[in-house]
Amino acid sequence: MNLDREANMLRVLTHTSRQFYVTFGILSAVALWGLCGYIIQLRDGLIVTGLRDQISWGLYIANFVFFTGISYGGTLISAILRVTNSGWRHPITRLSEAITVFALCIGGPMVIVDMGRPERMLFLFTHGRLQSVILWDVIAVSTYLAGSVLYLFFPMIPDLALLSKRQEFSSWRRTLYRKLSFGWTGTPEEQHLLEKCVSGMAGFMIVLAVSVHTVVSWIFAMTLRPGWNSSIFGPYFVMGAIYSGTAAVVLSMYILVRMLHLEDYIKPTHFRRLGILLLTFSLLYLYFNINDYLTAAYKVEGSEKHLMQQLFFGDYAVLMWATQALCIFIPFLMIAAVLFLKRLQKFLPPAIALASVLIIIGAGAKRYLIVVPTLSTPFLQNTNLPFDWIHYHPTWVEWSITFGGVAVLLLMYMLFTKVFPMVSIWETRQDEEQVETAVVPSTKPASQRWRSISSIPVILIAGLLLNIGDARADQKPPAKKPEATSLSLEWQQVATPAPKNEESKQTQLSGREASRVDKIFGRLLGWNPTESSDNLEAPPSMQVTATLHDSKGQPLTYQVVSLSLKTSFGTLDFGSRPTDEQGKAQFLVKDKRYGKYSVESIYDGGSDFAAARATATVDFGPRPAPALPSQGVLIAPNLTAAVAVPFLAFFGFTWLVFLFVGCYILFWRLPQIRKHVSKKAPWSQRKQPSHSLATHGLRSRKIAGGGY
Amino acid sequence: MKTLRREFFRSLVQGGAGVLVVSLACAKGKTEQVVQQKLPARSIAPSNQKWSMVIDLAKCDGCKDCTKACNKMHFVPPMQEWIKVYEVLDNPIAGPYYLPRPCLQCDNPPCVRGCPVGATFKRTDGIVIMDHDRCIGCRNCIAQCPYSARFFNWSEPSHNKNELSHPYSMEYSYPHRKGVVEKCDFCANDLRAGKLPACAEKCDMAAIYVGDEYEDAVTNCKGETVQLSKITKQGAAFRLLEELGTEPRVYFLPPTKRKYPAPGEPKPEAGKS
Repeated sequence: MNLDREANMLRVLTHTSRQFYVTFGILSAVALWGLCGYIIQLRDGLIVTGLRDQISWGLYIANFVFFTGISYGGTLISAILRVTNSGWRHPITRLSEAITVFALCIGGPMVIVDMGRPERMLFLFTHGRLQSVILWDVIAVSTYLAGSVLYLFFPMIPDLALLSKRQEFSSWRRTLYRKLSFGWTGTPEEQHLLEKCVSGMAGFMIVLAVSVHTVVSWIFAMTLRPGWNSSIFGPYFVMGAIYSGTAAVVLSMYILVRMLHLEDYIKPTHFRRLGILLLTFSLLYLYFNINDYLTAAYKVEGSEKHLMQQLFFGDYAVLMWATQALCIFIPFLMIAAVLFLKRLQKFLPPAIALASVLIIIGAGAKRYLIVVPTLSTPFLQNTNLPFDWIHYHPTWVEWSITFGGVAVLLLMYMLFTKVFPMVSIWETRQDEEQVETAVVPSTKPASQRWRSISSIPVILIAGLLLNIGDARADQKPPAKKPEATSLSLEWQQVATPAPKNEESKQTQLSGREASRVDKIFGRLLGWNPTESSDNLEAPPSMQVTATLHDSKGQPLTYQVVSLSLKTSFGTLDFGSRPTDEQGKAQFLVKDKRYGKYSVESIYDGGSDFAAARATATVDFGPRPAPALPSQGVLIAPNLTAAVAVPFLAFFGFTWLVFLFVGCYILFWRLPQIRKHVSKKAPWSQRKQPSHSLATHGLRSRKIAGGGY
Repeated sequence: MKTLRREFFRSLVQGGAGVLVVSLACAKGKTEQVVQQKLPARSIAPSNQKWSMVIDLAKCDGCKDCTKACNKMHFVPPMQEWIKVYEVLDNPIAGPYYLPRPCLQCDNPPCVRGCPVGATFKRTDGIVIMDHDRCIGCRNCIAQCPYSARFFNWSEPSHNKNELSHPYSMEYSYPHRKGVVEKCDFCANDLRAGKLPACAEKCDMAAIYVGDEYEDAVTNCKGETVQLSKITKQGAAFRLLEELGTEPRVYFLPPTKRKYPAPGEPKPEAGKS
């Protein structure tokens, strides 16, 4: 029976139906149409889209979020189920891991499609600023893609080795499989090493996946926009992604069962278990939706009020309510009905598959509703623009590229099914052996069944928790009929009034103890830039004294003298003041000024005395050295350790693990084990007994350990 | 198998430590650069000033001469208004007023925070500069800017000969091109040449004052120079959306005792004025 179902599954690799060619043709046409759309967009610019200055992100960014969300299927089904040691996962791991890789291959480039200057893409690496969320995204998504390719490929190695020995394949296929299996022989030691690697990576992939979708949500959450400015976005996006990803897995399961006849592997029980997962996720997603909308709607805060009106009753109301129904309520009712009503149980796989279609469409619409309505309600509305510059409707180009992307995703998936086995042969074989040895009953007690499922939300929550940077100058009076006068200017620094300083000292004293940690982190992120502005307030007051004498050198009293200061654009007038008994007029200049300025004092003269003027250069102290505002590292042109270290530590570590698994294990460790084994005993002698023993021993140990 | 696990964890720890050391070493040099203010050459303005703007809303009559002057000076592409005049109604009783909004040249600019390639950056003279040679057109800065002060060239903008006769400069932002983000640059080249920006120069109502914060003086087109710290203090100046913490360099004087009819009110007859 085992061999029968394998042969049945592998038939698809050698036999291609007409249906396949027709579908392939249609999808290729759609993909080409999308390519045409992109070429037109490249030629004419983004004017061909519905995007304008008001709503500058639209369908493309929504697609990016959507496809990255879909990619979650693979991680969830494969990694989480692997960590929780759910044995029923085996037939569906490969197909879900493939979704991850291909969805990311479409999602990532959607950002490039959205770029105004895609030819400058490499600037992201040559001029990248690690303070920007966009760069976090680029790095996170590419890391995730590399990880998921490795995670898809690794568990496939034993299967490829098996296939390379099958005679029904043409020689090129066998060569391909042999090359890709890197000399896998299938000894228990090798198998054990591989299983260790894959389950180690599984835990890692969960953390990485949660971080990736959180970073995706931060593009929105780290902006000053009503609706996006929300702390719930990280987990909200992760939840939405897991939900739509699981739906994608269910859908592809259904299609593959129908197309490739995998009934022997994927049974209604798989649909049932994933149905329960979908049910849980729909409730969790409902909970997140209520949390996001209700907290905003309850407060009716100025800027968010408008957004909520638009969403609930305005332009987006129809789409919004339809999405809630499509994405949450209808699938919930459908799945609940087929799961719990015995009469409807025979419709279980198609009903859950249909619910998954609704969830995927709803998820796409939901991403659109996250991106567009917020942009349509900015703090300052763009005025004086025509209607279609303010309202966004995706154009045919955007739709073509979107559907082109979907088509390419499906094409890649189809081709994948034609080259690689869609079900993990070696893992399902192990299952088979287990059933035959009849240790584990095929129907587990309800408590156990629930345990394996209830541990998943725990892992999810654990993953979410893990998420968590001058001079004197004399002027000769003009010789005129009225008596000549002379005006002289003196200036000196005087202390600024005292009470203000005391006040600030007091506030500094009271805040000193608490502010030490605060100072370090506050300076990093620019939370307390008060320090530098205090320094700026330091300039001393200037006392400028104008002394007026007549031609005999006697001080002139009670004459009006004015004072002005030359700035780069004009003259700043300090008004006028009468001279005292000593002929002095004092001007106290308490400005926050730096540098040297030419100050001019004018005596307008009168009937008795001639006019006089005097200039002097007053030095208000040196200008501060050119510097950027002390608003923290986020606006600095240079990278600082506060941002770089945590970031590089996390992703650097991730890449290191990938390198370890991808290079060290594959090219060094595995061949070594093989050498070791072949020295000890010839392969044929050890194979049978040790194989079953080893796998058995491994399994019992795992069960005893209670999972990961 | 135990050896493998041990090996695995050992190399993980070693690798992690290695990454940490390398990144610390890399970051150390960079930290020193910032601490010692070794800014990249482009971030240091050619002259040591800190530009500020004060807009007296009591004087603004919404004639949009500033917008027109700006569009002419910078050859601003159609559909864009780098200085946009808004009709603001805070609440129905307070009544409407006009509010011209240039780029506010924030001291804590969200656009600079969000730019992945450093195409938009803060300069030491306080201006947020936009580099069209660097911009990749991701429009994250547009999403980041709460003032809607940024625009995108959705298609190749229409050019004129005068515009194309100049070589591109970040200080006047033309010639324009497709697929990059555009914004008000405070007419950085004019400021350095000792001229007021186009909007301030052409404001008939003399509502726009521009000056150097270090001089503590701002000047309008009529040559009226006032002390910056004095008018902001005495005039109870506000900054737009202060609560967002963007620390704009543009101050607005409240529209009290207006010298013009409010938006929607009948204009005085042409013969009388």
